[in-house]
Amino acid sequence: MKAIAFHRMKMHWPLYVMAIPGIVFLIVFKYIPLAGAVIAFKDYSVFQGFMDSPWVGFKHFKTLIDHPDFARVFGNTLMLGALKLVLIFPVPVLLALMINEIRKTALKKGIQTALYIPHFLSWVIVGGILFDFFSLSGLFNIIIGWFGDESVLAMQESAYFRPIYVLASIWRDAGWGTVVYMAAISAIDLQLYESAMIDGASRFRQIRHITFPILLPTVMVLFLLEIGNFLDLGFDQVYNLLTPMTYNVGDILDTYVFRTGIQQAQYSFATAVGLFQSVIGFIMVYTFNKLSKKVSDDGGLW
Amino acid sequence: MPESRGEKVFVTGITVFLILFSIIAIIPLLSVIATSFSSKSAVDMNLVTLWPKQFTLDSWMYIIDRPDLWKSFFLTLGSTVIGTVLALLMTALFAYPLSKPEFRWGSVIMVGVVIAMIFKAPIVPYFLTVRSIGLYDNPLVLIVPHILNPFNLIIMRTFFKQFSKDLEEAALLEGCGYFRMLFQFVLPLSKAVLATLALFYGVVLWNQFQHPLFFLQDTNLFPLQIKIRQFITDDNVIMAGAASTADLNYNERTLRAATVIFAIIPIILVYPFLQKYFVKGAMIGSVKG
Repeated sequence: MKAIAFHRMKMHWPLYVMAIPGIVFLIVFKYIPLAGAVIAFKDYSVFQGFMDSPWVGFKHFKTLIDHPDFARVFGNTLMLGALKLVLIFPVPVLLALMINEIRKTALKKGIQTALYIPHFLSWVIVGGILFDFFSLSGLFNIIIGWFGDESVLAMQESAYFRPIYVLASIWRDAGWGTVVYMAAISAIDLQLYESAMIDGASRFRQIRHITFPILLPTVMVLFLLEIGNFLDLGFDQVYNLLTPMTYNVGDILDTYVFRTGIQQAQYSFATAVGLFQSVIGFIMVYTFNKLSKKVSDDGGLW
Repeated sequence: MPESRGEKVFVTGITVFLILFSIIAIIPLLSVIATSFSSKSAVDMNLVTLWPKQFTLDSWMYIIDRPDLWKSFFLTLGSTVIGTVLALLMTALFAYPLSKPEFRWGSVIMVGVVIAMIFKAPIVPYFLTVRSIGLYDNPLVLIVPHILNPFNLIIMRTFFKQFSKDLEEAALLEGCGYFRMLFQFVLPLSKAVLATLALFYGVVLWNQFQHPLFFLQDTNLFPLQIKIRQFITDDNVIMAGAASTADLNYNERTLRAATVIFAIIPIILVYPFLQKYFVKGAMIGSVKG
C-alpha cells in the first residue's frame, strides 16, 4: 500500500510543488501569528521571542480588567458592535428585496452601480470625504444653515460619532452587501412567482412568502458570521473617522491595541486584549449557532 | 396579469426610494469634486454645494505639481500592479492542486485554509512575525502580505473544480504536465474568475492603510492612502511650499478635496471595465464558497 501511495505521489509531484508557496504563506502569515497569541500569557521580550519568553499566566488579563481604559474601550466596542448588528446589518437585505422589485433593467443597473461605487473607496478616502462634507463651509453646514441652524464641526463632536459611524458604514458597504443577496435571489425558480401570480398573490405577498423565506438561510449564515466578528469593527474605518475629540466614544479595542501594542510596544498586554476580543467573538458565534439550530433544524453554520 | 393600483404605488414607491438612495450615495462625492474645482473665496463664502463655483484649476495645479504625491502615487500603482499579478499567480498555483482529487493532502489543507480564513490572528503577534521576517520599513510589505487571501483561494478552487475532466485527462495522457496544463489550458479558460480576483486583490492593494501605517516609518515609502491621511489631518503637510497664502486661489479645503479625488481617479477609470466581472465573481464566491 505504502509503495502505491508513494508511486502516486511521485506521479503527481507537480501538484505538491505548486502547493508549497501557498502553504508556506499560510504558515508564516496566518499560523505563526495565531500561535504567537501565546504571548498573552507570557512576558514577551523581543530578544527571547514567542517561545522562550517567561510564562506569567493570566497576569495581563488581570491588568486588562482592572485597567481604567478598559471599561470605556470595551463599552465603546460593544456599543458600535450592537449598532452594526441592529442598524447596519439589515440594510442590504432590505435594499436587495427592493432592487429585485425593479423590473426595468437599465434603471436597476444604474441604481446598483451608484450603490456599489462607495465600496471601492478606502476608509481614508471616505474619511476625507466626510471631513470635507462636515467641515464648517461644507455641504452639511450649508444645508443646516438653510434651516437656520448653527454650524457644527460634527466630526469633532462626541455626540455625532456614532450616527456618523452608522451612516458611513451604510453609505460605503450596504450597496455592496446586496450582491450576495441578489445572487441568492437570482437562483430562485421563476415558476414559483408565476404560480403565485396565478393564485392572485400580490407583489408584496410574493416578497413575504417567496423571496424573503428563500433569502432567509443566506441572511442567517451572514448574520452568524457577522456575530463572530461582533467586536471586530474594522480598524481602518474607526481609525479614519476618529479625532482626539471623539476618543471617549470612538476608541475601540482595535485602535486601543494599535496604540498600546504597536506604538507603545506593550506587546503581551495588547495581545491579551486581542485574544479577549477573539474569545468573545467565538462564544457569541457558538451561542447563536446553538440558538439558530433550535429555531430551525438545518439552521446554523455547523 | 394586470397589476392592481396598490401594486403600482408599491413599485413606484420603491423605485423613488431607491433613486433617492442612489443620489444620496453619490452626493458627498459630487460635493468633494465641486469643492476641488472651486475657488478659495467661493468655498469660504459657503457657496459650493454640488457644482463648482468660480471654477478654477488652481488646486489641481498645485496637487499635480507635488512631486511627493506623485511618488506615493507611482509607488502605490506599482505595488498594486505587481502585487495583483503575483497574487493571481500564487492563488492559481495553490488553488489548482486543491481542486484535484489526485492531490492527497487536499482535504487536510483545505481545513487549514478555512481555519486561516475564520480565525484572525491577534494583531500584535502578527506585527511581530511580519517584522521578524524583515518586512519592517521594507517596501515589500506593501505587496507580500497580500498575495494570498484564503477567501479568494476558495473562490478560485471552486471555479477550477467545475472544469470537465475529459480534456485534462486526455492532455495528461498525451504527456502534458500539470504546470503546462495549468498555464496553457486552465488559466486561459478562467478569465472571468481571474478578472474578478484581480479586482478584489487590486482594490485591497490600492486601498491598503493598516499595513503601511503599522510597518512603515520611512516617509519615502508612504503609499497613497497614508499620504492622503496626512493631507486630511495636517494642514502643514498640505500647504508645504505654498508661498504666501493670502493671494492664492486655493486653501486647505480645496486642496484636500483635490487630493481625495486624485486618489480615486484610478478606481473610477478601471471600474466600468471590471463591473461585469465582479458581480459574476461575487456570485461564484457567495453561492458556492
